Formats: sequence, C-alpha cells, structure tokens
Amino acid sequence: MSNWVLKGLQSGVVTTRYPRKEEKAQGISPGFPDIDSQGGDINGREEDVCPTAALYGDSNSLKLDKGRCIHCFRCVRNTGHPVSWTSGFEWASFTEKGTPFPKIFQKSLYIRVVDSGDCGACLNEVKLLNNPLYNMHRLGLFITPTPRQADILLIVGPVTDHMKTALRKTYDAMPEPKRVMAVGSCALTGGIFSSGFTSGSGVSSLIPVDIEIPGCPPPPLAVLHGLLTLAGRTK
Amino acid sequence: MKLQETVNQMQSRWNTELKIDLDLSAGTAVVHCERNTVPPLCGWLFNTMEYHFTGLVPEEGTEEWKLIYFFTGEADLGSIQVQTSAPLNEETFQSVSPIVHAVDWHEREAEDLFGLVFEGHPRLGDFVLHDDAWQEGLAPMRSGFDSDLAHSQRKPKSNWKPRKVLDAPGAFVMPIGPVFSGEAESSHFLLETIGEEIVRALPRLFFKYRGVEKLAEGKSIHDALLLSERFAGTTAFSHALTFCTAAEKLSGGQIPERAELLRIFFAEMERFRHHIGIIEGICSSTGLVVAASQAGILEEKMLRLTGKLTGHRYFFGLAVPGGLSRDTDDEAIKEALKEIKGILHDLNTLEKLLKKTSSFLDRLEDVGIITPQQAQDFELAGPMARGSHFCNDVRKLLPYGMYPSLQFEVPCEREGDGYARLRIFFEEARQAAAFMNQAAAMIKPGPVYTPYSGGEGTALAGVETPGGASWQWLRVDKNNRITRYRIMPPSFANWHGFHLAVEKFAFQDFPIIKATLGLSVAENDR
Amino acid sequence: MTTIGTLILSGLGIYFLGILGVLIFPKKRTSLVLISGGGGSLILMAAGAVSLFSPDIFRTVLWTIPGLGPVTVTVDHLSAFFLIAVSLAAFPASLYAAPRIHGVRSALYLGLLISLAPVVITADVFSFLAAWEIMSIFLYLLINSGKEERPGYLMLALGEAGTLAVLAALLLLAGNTGGLSFHALKVSSMHITPGLQWTVFILSFFGFGVKAGLIPVNFWLPKAYAAAPPSVIPLIAGATLNLGLYGIIRINTDLLPVHSTGMGIVVLVTGAVTALIGILYATIEDDLKTLLAHSSIENAGIMTTALGAGMIFLATGYKGAAAIAFIASFYHLLNHSVYKTLLFIGAGTVEESTGLRSLDRMGGLLKTLQWTGFFMLIGVLSISAIPPFNGFVSEWLTLQSLLRSVELASLGIKIVFVAAGAVLALTAGLTVTCFVRAFSMGFLGMPRTEKPAGIRKAGKAALVSMAFLALISLSLGVLPTYVIPAIDKAVSPLTGINGSTALIPPFFNNAQEGNELPQHFVSDFQTIGAQIGKGTLPGRGLVVMHRGGKKNPVVFAMSTSYLFIMLFILLALTFLIVKFATRHRKTVKRPRWDGGIRNLLPEMTYTATGFAQPVRVIFNTILRPKVVDRREVIIKHFREAIHLKRKEVHLIDKLVLYPLSSASMWTAEKLARMHSGRVNSYAGYALFILILFLVIASFI
Repeated sequence: MSNWVLKGLQSGVVTTRYPRKEEKAQGISPGFPDIDSQGGDINGREEDVCPTAALYGDSNSLKLDKGRCIHCFRCVRNTGHPVSWTSGFEWASFTEKGTPFPKIFQKSLYIRVVDSGDCGACLNEVKLLNNPLYNMHRLGLFITPTPRQADILLIVGPVTDHMKTALRKTYDAMPEPKRVMAVGSCALTGGIFSSGFTSGSGVSSLIPVDIEIPGCPPPPLAVLHGLLTLAGRTK
Repeated sequence: MKLQETVNQMQSRWNTELKIDLDLSAGTAVVHCERNTVPPLCGWLFNTMEYHFTGLVPEEGTEEWKLIYFFTGEADLGSIQVQTSAPLNEETFQSVSPIVHAVDWHEREAEDLFGLVFEGHPRLGDFVLHDDAWQEGLAPMRSGFDSDLAHSQRKPKSNWKPRKVLDAPGAFVMPIGPVFSGEAESSHFLLETIGEEIVRALPRLFFKYRGVEKLAEGKSIHDALLLSERFAGTTAFSHALTFCTAAEKLSGGQIPERAELLRIFFAEMERFRHHIGIIEGICSSTGLVVAASQAGILEEKMLRLTGKLTGHRYFFGLAVPGGLSRDTDDEAIKEALKEIKGILHDLNTLEKLLKKTSSFLDRLEDVGIITPQQAQDFELAGPMARGSHFCNDVRKLLPYGMYPSLQFEVPCEREGDGYARLRIFFEEARQAAAFMNQAAAMIKPGPVYTPYSGGEGTALAGVETPGGASWQWLRVDKNNRITRYRIMPPSFANWHGFHLAVEKFAFQDFPIIKATLGLSVAENDR
Repeated sequence: MTTIGTLILSGLGIYFLGILGVLIFPKKRTSLVLISGGGGSLILMAAGAVSLFSPDIFRTVLWTIPGLGPVTVTVDHLSAFFLIAVSLAAFPASLYAAPRIHGVRSALYLGLLISLAPVVITADVFSFLAAWEIMSIFLYLLINSGKEERPGYLMLALGEAGTLAVLAALLLLAGNTGGLSFHALKVSSMHITPGLQWTVFILSFFGFGVKAGLIPVNFWLPKAYAAAPPSVIPLIAGATLNLGLYGIIRINTDLLPVHSTGMGIVVLVTGAVTALIGILYATIEDDLKTLLAHSSIENAGIMTTALGAGMIFLATGYKGAAAIAFIASFYHLLNHSVYKTLLFIGAGTVEESTGLRSLDRMGGLLKTLQWTGFFMLIGVLSISAIPPFNGFVSEWLTLQSLLRSVELASLGIKIVFVAAGAVLALTAGLTVTCFVRAFSMGFLGMPRTEKPAGIRKAGKAALVSMAFLALISLSLGVLPTYVIPAIDKAVSPLTGINGSTALIPPFFNNAQEGNELPQHFVSDFQTIGAQIGKGTLPGRGLVVMHRGGKKNPVVFAMSTSYLFIMLFILLALTFLIVKFATRHRKTVKRPRWDGGIRNLLPEMTYTATGFAQPVRVIFNTILRPKVVDRREVIIKHFREAIHLKRKEVHLIDKLVLYPLSSASMWTAEKLARMHSGRVNSYAGYALFILILFLVIASFI
C-alpha cells in the first residue's frame, strides 16, 4: 500500500492552474472556425460544405453557430478558400432564461450527469474533470449519483427517445434551485443526429436549459468554464 | 485452398439447393439458398467447419427481402456470405439462433427494426425499441416508415414487465439505471436475485439508440462518414476507418502508402489511449484512487497529444475515404513517439504496482469468468474474448491496410476472469506502442490523400477497433447515395455475452466486472 | 384474610365467573372475556404489586390432602413479581382477544388465564405440579384449536417429558426431607449432596427449559407459535414463557442453595447459545409470527444468560454483581412480556387486515395501517434495544453484569463470560438487523401483492391494547431508576443484599447519610446535571450507574430518563427551528428517485429474503441449507427458468428432533413385533411383568 502513497507523491502537482492562471498546454481544445479572420468560403465541393450549417452567411460576413459545429474540419480543408481556426475554450453562454446560482450556493455545487445518447466523447471529457490534471474537486464541484443532492443537471447527447422519460424524471427529482447545463453540440441542437426518428434535437426541446457549452466534444476546460460561469465565479 | 474444399463439401451436402459464386482470388464465396436451408447451412459452417460468425445484414430491396449471414474462417478458409431472400410480402424466415447462438441479437434486431419474423426464435420483442416505449410492429428501418405517424400513433405498453427467469422464494429484480452511478453511460440492468448473488442478469440496452443506420440512408459517402465517426466517440478513428475501408473497396482505388501507415499509427494510438481509459475505469471501480489517477493522467496526456498531432482530441475529421484529411509532419511524429515512450514507461510501472497490490487483485481474480466455450458460442470479440482464450483478430484474420507487413502476436489469456482481461489490456497497449514505432519507422514522404472517386455496389469491411472486430456493410446506388448502411460493432457481440460474466457473482462485483469488460454502450446502441 | 388474599381470590374468581358466563351465554362472550380477562388480570396485577411492596409474605394453607400434605399458597416477592409480569401481558392480550375469540376457545382462553396465577403462588410440590399440568393442558388445547396442523402434540409430548423431569427433580428433593412444601424443601436442601444437587439442577433446568424455550428442548416453540390461533398467541407468547423461567429460578436459586459455579456456567452458556441460535433463525425467517417466535427464544436466552451470570456471582460470593445480573434478567423478562405481546398483537392485526404473514409478500403497509405501524415501530425499537425504550435498559444491564466478570478470580470463568458477552453482542446486532428487516419489509416500501388494496383497518381493541403496551414499553425504558428498586424487592431475597442501591446512586438524597459515594465524586456528577429533578421527584435519582472499584469508580453510567427528556427537547427544538426557518417556503414533493426507470414495479424492490441473504451467507456453516438448483433451457443458452429452492432445517430439529423422532419410530416398530397375535406370547408378557413387579417390590 505504501507504494501507492509514494507513487502518488512522486507524481507531484499536475493540476492545471485554471481559472487563476491561463492554461497554455497544447491539445486541450479542438477549437472553432475563426470567422473574424480573412478568407473563408462556405461553398465548394459536396464534401467541403458545412454538414450541419454551422457556418452560414457569405464570404464577406461569415457567421458561425457554435452550437451546430461538429469539428469536421471541412471548412478548414476547403480547397478553395479555407477558413482559419482558433483555439481557446471559454465558450459557455447563458440562454435567455439562464442565470448564475444565487450567492450562497456558489461555493460548492453538485452535478448529476445524464447521458442522453451521447457518443461517449462528451461523457469522457466530463469524466476527465475528476482527472488529476483538471481536478474539479478543488473548486468545490462534485459529481453525485443522486439527483436529490444535485444542483446542476449536466446533459450530454441529443436526447434520444428512450432517454426522455429518464431525463425528465431526473430533472423532476432535483430540488430547487437547479440549473440545467447542455454540453456538446448534440445536447444543444442534436448535432448530426438531429433528423432521426429516435434521436432528438437537443435538450431544450424537453427541459429548459440554462447554460450551453458548444463543442464536439467540448474539452474538459470548456465544461469547467461552464460550471464556473454557472456558479457565478467567472469574470 | 481450403475455401474450395468447404465449397465442395457444401455442394455435396446440399447439392442443388445452393447456388455458389466462388471468387478464389478474393477468398470469398457467396452462397444463395432457400430460406429453410439457411439454419442447417449456417449451423454446419459455424459448428462443424468452425467459421466465425461476423454478422447478419437484413436488406429491404425493391422486390424482395434479403438476409446475408457473414462467416469468416481462419487462415485460408476464406469468407462466406450466406444469402437468402423472400418476396416483400412474405416476412418469415427460419431462425438460426437455436443453432448458432451468436446470431440471436442480430435476429432480434431485424425483428424489431424491419418487422421480420424469425420462426423458431424463442425470444423476440423488446429489444432495440422498448416495449414500454413503443408498440410492436413499428419496423422503422423499412423504406416506407413514417416517423411523424409513428410518433403520433404511439402506444407504449404501460403494463410491460420484464420476463423473469428466476423462480425462488423471495426472489426479486434489482434494477440498475438507466441513470446511475456518477457518469455512467445510460443503460439498464435487471438483476434477478434472492440477495447478494446475481442469479440472472438482463441488460436492457438501446436507451441511446439514435438510428444511425437509418440516418445514413440517402446520404453521400462523405456525409455518412461523419455518422460512422461520431456514433462511438471514444473509438471514432477506428470506426471511421472501417467505413473508409468499405468505401474504398467500392471505388477500388488505392490510397497512398503514407496514409496507410499513418492510419495504422493513429488507429494504434487510439487503441493505446482507449485501453488506458479502460484500465483507469477498472482501477476506479475497485476504489484504488491513486492508480486510477495515475492512469487518468496518462489518458489525458494521450488526448492532448492527439489534439496536438491531429487537431482534435478524438481524431474527429481525420480519416476520409481516399486517405487522411490532414498530413502530420515527421518531426511531430518523432516527438509524439518520444512522449508515448514515456507514457508507456509509466504504464508499465503502473502494471507492476497493480500486480503487487493484493487487495486489488482479490477483486479481479476468479471474478467475472467467461469460459472459452461460452466465448466461442457467443462469438465474442476483442479483449473480452481474448481474455477467455478465444483469440481472433481481424488484423490476422482478414488483414487490411499495411498490417500484413507488420510483426505482431495476438495476446491471449486462458482464465477468462477480470484479471486476465486486465492483462490483455496492458499487453495490447504495449503492442499498440510497438505498432506505432514500426509504422513510424516505415513512413516515407508522400501524399496522404488521393481524391475519392466513389462507386456503386456493396462492400463489407472489418477493422480491429480497440473493442474488437467491427464490421460495416455498405450498399451504394448509382447516384452515389447510400441505400443500406449496417454497423456490426464489437460491443453488439459482447453485450450479448455480458450476462455470462456477471451471473453467479455478487452485487458488489458487478461494477468491477462491468469495468473489466470495457464495453461501450454508445457503440452498441448506434 | 389479608388484602393480598382477597385480591388473588377475587381475580381468580372473576376468571372463573367468566368461564361460567361464556359457557352459559355464548353470545355475550366478547364482553365477558373483556370484563373477566381484563378485570381479573388487573386485579391480579394489583395483588402482585401490593405483595411486592409489602414487607410481609402472604402465606396460607388451603387444605390438607391426606397422604400428600397441605396445599400451600405463598405469595413471596418472587411470586409477586411474576404475578405482575404475567398479568401485565394478560391484560392487553385479553383486550385484544375479546372480540376475536369464538366458541369453546373463549372458555379455554379464560381457563389458561386462571391456571397461570396458581403456578407462581403455590408453594408445595403437589399443588405446584398440578397447577403446572393444568396450565400445560390448557395451553395445548388452545394451540391445537387453530385450524392448521396440530403442532400442539409436539408441545404436549415435550412438555410432558419436561414435567416428568421436573417431577423427578422435586421428588428427589422431597425424598431428602419427607415434607412436600417448598419451605421444607428449602430448609432441608441446605445439606444436600453435590451429586443430588446436580441431578436436580439438570432435571429441573431442562424440564422447565421446555416452557422457557431453551435449547435443545425448544423445537416445539416456533412451530406451535406459528400455528396457534392469532387471538390467543399474544397471551401465550407474553405470559407462559415467563413461567418456565419462574420454575428455573424458584428451584435453582430459591429452594436450592447456589454453591457451585458449574451450574451457573451451564445456565450462562445455554442462555448465550439459545440467544444466538434464536436470533439467527429469526433473522432469516420469512413468516412474521415464526420470526417473533424465534425471537422469543432469543429473549429467553438473554434472560437465562443474565441468570447464569447471577448464579456464578452468587456462588463466588459477589453478591452485588449477582444482584445486578438478577435484576437484569428479571428486567428483561418484564420487558419481553410487554414488547413481545405488543409485537404479536401487531402481527395478528397485520394478518387480520391483509391475510399476509410472509414478509416477502408484504410491503407498504404503513400507508394503510398507520397506527399499527407506529406501535409496531415502538415494539421493534424496544426489542432492538434502542434507547430510550425498555429493551435497551435490560440489555445494557445484562452486558454490564457480564463485564463484572473482571472481579472474578478464575480465568476459565472469565473466558466463559467474555465469550458469552461476545455472543450476546452479536445477538444484539442481529436483533437490530432482524427487526429492521421485519419492520421495513412489512411496513415500508411498495406493496408487493395486490392484497393491501382490499385492506381492513385495525380494530379498536387491538389499537388500545397496543397503545397500552407501547406506553408501558416507554415507561419501563425511561424510568429504570423506579423499576429497578421494585424488581430488587424480588431479587434481594435471592441475593441477600439490596442491589438497587449499588445501581442507583442517591443523587436526589442529601449527600451525607447512607451515601457510600465520596463527596467530590457526587459533586462531579451534580455539575453535569445528575441532580436535576431533585426535590420534585421521588426516588434516589435518575441515573443508573455501573460502579467499579476504587481506582475506577464509574465504569459506565446512563440515564434514559434524561436522555428521553433531552431527546424530546432536541426533537421539539429541531422541529420548531425547521418550522420557523422554512415558514416562508412551500414544500415541494418530488417523485421518488428510481434511476429514471419507466415503471418501477413492486418486484423490483428488496424482499425480506434478499435483506437477510448476507446473514445467510455469513452463517452458512451453521445453517447448512439444502439448495436445489434446477435450470430449464429452451435451447442451449436460451433459458426458460431457474428454479432455486433453499431449505434450512433448524439446527435443533436436525440435532435433536429428527434423531429423537426416528429413534422413537424405530423403537415403536421393534415393539410392534410384540403384537404377534399369539395368545401364549401375550400370556408370557403378563408373566414377565408380574415377576418384574415382584422383584421390584422385594427391594422396596
């Protein structure tokens, strides 16, 4: 057993300094198309067109619906006029009705994660929040198995037909005040699964969403940023 | 060639009933037969000739139903497709499941989604579409299916009850899920028990059924690729690779060697990361926090490395028919190899420590046992099968890409318990690293993409994904639109045998056994 | 005649009039049983109370039977205590039984009542045995009057064997003196030989042990209790078990001098093993009534353990410790009468309302049987020894008295005490498991059968009797400092010292007079509030203390009285604070969390069998179940059914009953050969017997 203690100590502190300091490691985010930079043409061959119409407008005023982007990188490799790409991860945004938690709840929040049909990537990124590199416990954020203790309902996946009852029940079982967080483009808009007969078009069709985190999948830091935003702890 | 012998024997046994198209150069034989010949023929292939059952593809043609049973043999036994058909107004087929149990779930799925009837199958209904959510006879995979009508006329069976098998005083059913644990994938388990020990386990899956196969219909190859990539995100590259391989078979075009080697590099990188994730899950299921954290660090390091190398942490948008969408420069690969060496070193240290931790081994050893015979009967795939000495690997069985030119042995363990599977995961992770080194050493400058020309027809492709053999079937019409897309992922075969591992063990072993199997729900549910 | 005599006579008289009344006016039996059973037991309780607190012993000779001597009635303090204990159960049991009892059974019921008191007040061999036999016969008739199979035969056979053993024991004692009165036996037994004393002890201990439910002679008890009519079982369970213990105590601690530690060890070990075996089978039992029956065995075991401890202390001269152990034993006996009657009435009410006895099939009864559930909860808390209810006090005292073994010299005996203490601790733990299971599986959760839909409400009589018993349970729990001196009245004649002064420090008295505690010590306790209530409350104090030697004056002290008050205040405060803090909030009820499953079915909740499964697994070596695992398959890998049957044969049945019954069957078969049908062989038997008698006669 002492081996493990030693092993743990040997590893030292690997946790990110975020949100106190910027996290500059590479490969922590898939990024988004950069619509502000020059270039960018959304027309082209069939295999180069944005499949979910996240990019729209024309080449002079390109617009991006982050909630639809699934990181297929078609616009980047568009042979005619590729758009450029940005990094970063602070993408969370409140919906119209969404507000942060009241002051007394901000220090510590419990999260119930519901997988409503995701591909496993979003769920894995959420799971990684407990990873030593992100360690959300240090920020007073915890994942709980029961909705009874949960403040935040974190939903990944497009809400498949079979998961509707379960999701609804989980939401109903949570005490007030509660917030709903949709994570990933599937949960926001249904992503590429939106037109199926059993796969839904996102969480908001079933329960009101307070905060949205786009990305396919949003990296752990994006989810963390979203949680801190919901807690009213971001600038 | 042995395939020729098999075909000869087949002909002498069934004589006039079969129409066989033999293609010795490709090592394939397509056998057309009547509906009632299918069960004995499949049984003979599976039980006597020891072909592996790889999947069943039901197809709705314009005039007839078509069922294709795929069998793959070891060495030069080749692959055999058993095809049968029926007029569209006749929906009844003979069930193969009583003879070849591995077909069970394939037939149940076909019954649920196509409305086909399999005579002699003892358990139909409540599978993909839950009976307490949808009425019977919906058949959403049929071409004339009206989704809006189905939703408006929805009649769930409100008094649906699971079919219980256990008859004992005080017996009860312990439900788990669909929303359970901290961040588990949604799935539902009904454990029949009289307390403590699981007597019978009934996994109820497809809570995450998104209908990918249906969504792909009518789409172009390029759009369907996105679906194949995103139905199981943690093994996205392997599944996209399966799809691309099938698509490339249709076009008949070759892809550049650099792309082939990079594909191997990335596929093995994905396997490496996937297995670390599974090891992390096993450690945390036993409550060994330090080990789980150590594995977790390595997993995140691999994800960051992937992100650095390919732009996306899960290889999204990388594989395309015709090669890869982006090139990676050799310097970056060398850097990556260096980093992977360090991670592998840490992983080996972790394994050594784990093997010394008796409290950890106690939870794994002699727990969750699947016997080799069971693994064979259920045609299990991947690490789950290899832990039970059922060691087939598509990379050996039907080698694809550049794998034939690489050196490797398929790891194999005999005990079939959780510890055997853990050793398999470690061994395969090591092997993946070795693959990456071999592939990187062979990489030469060159293009990574040749334009994809498309093509009409059908193709089956198999790729050894981290979870095991994944098979995909494509039928593309002359307008380059997909008319049938069938995914036969390894999890679909393995969840079928899930109950074998958990039955006769205690409740508290359930999460641990589940972790050691390393199964993906998203991949199964599609 | 004195007050006591008048009371006893009128009590028994009312019972008798009741019997006559029931036989003459069968239509009025409900009110007759109510008046005579309830009234009679109240009067007898009063008689017991008066005689317990009066310094004199009521003695009278009724008449003299030629050849057998005088029929003596003596109500000493021991008798008085048991009169109270029996009547305390008989009173609510009669309230409950009155509207439920029919036909000749009501006469039998009153007959059993009438036979109970004489057992504890007769004071000579002949009348004691006569009363004992009458009681046994009424018990047998009542148990066999149930509709189901007739386990009364087993009880009768075993009971008669027990009575024979007791008869032999008493005759052996009487053979020493010539007189048949208990007084004469007691005087003469001062000089009894150890060999004779051991014989008498073994015979009487296991003879009475049949009624008391001690191993290995208790195998009739669960079967009889389970089959007995629900209306009479509270009386049987609450009252008759005590009489077996009365017999053991009367002969082995009162009539016989306590000299040898060996006997004490036999009693102690038997008690501890009985307790463990009893609760083990209770924990895995599915039938609520059988469960309660097994739990009676366990409680008898606890009483016997404490009794054994007391006998050892007495034999080794530690009278103070002996007094505590006896008090514990008696206290537990009283408690058990109360809560077991309560629980059996509760179980009867459940059976009456739902038709269910199987815990596996109950569930969710609290929604329909609120009050029954509430009273059952009190009973369950009491029997599980949760303070401030009564079971806690007596079990605490029992374990404390076992701890006193540190004072003993012999290492061997110390080890026995430690082992017994460990067994009792395990028993206490299992008791909690057992009754959490019994209550939660019965009353909480979801209904598992359709039955509770057509549920009937509990009758008024049942609720009143349960309320009475629940109140007594609570009172015995929160007022130990008043109950202990009363019990000590019955115990002190056995030990010769006043045990209650050692247990209850006189915090209410003025410090100086008669206070053996050092001044500074008392004041220490006073600062923490041991004196609250002084001046307003009678008695010595509200603290029960286990006192040690000089170095360590207090081993442990507790006060359920203060605890109860604090508990009440804290709960009330919490309630008020919550009420106040949430006065502007509205309560929102959310559906129960079921993991998001579409339809949670009753079969998806834990069953009683499942709850007890860990206990089964742990004690597998003792239980040794026979498991039949039959699997039906449609085709390979497609399972049709898994039939799993598990059968646990009771350990005592396996070790004692089955060998015994097969031995008697074997003997009977052998003897049957004598019936050859030939006249000359029958003549030969007659001749043989004649010669045998002649030989015997020649020796006498």
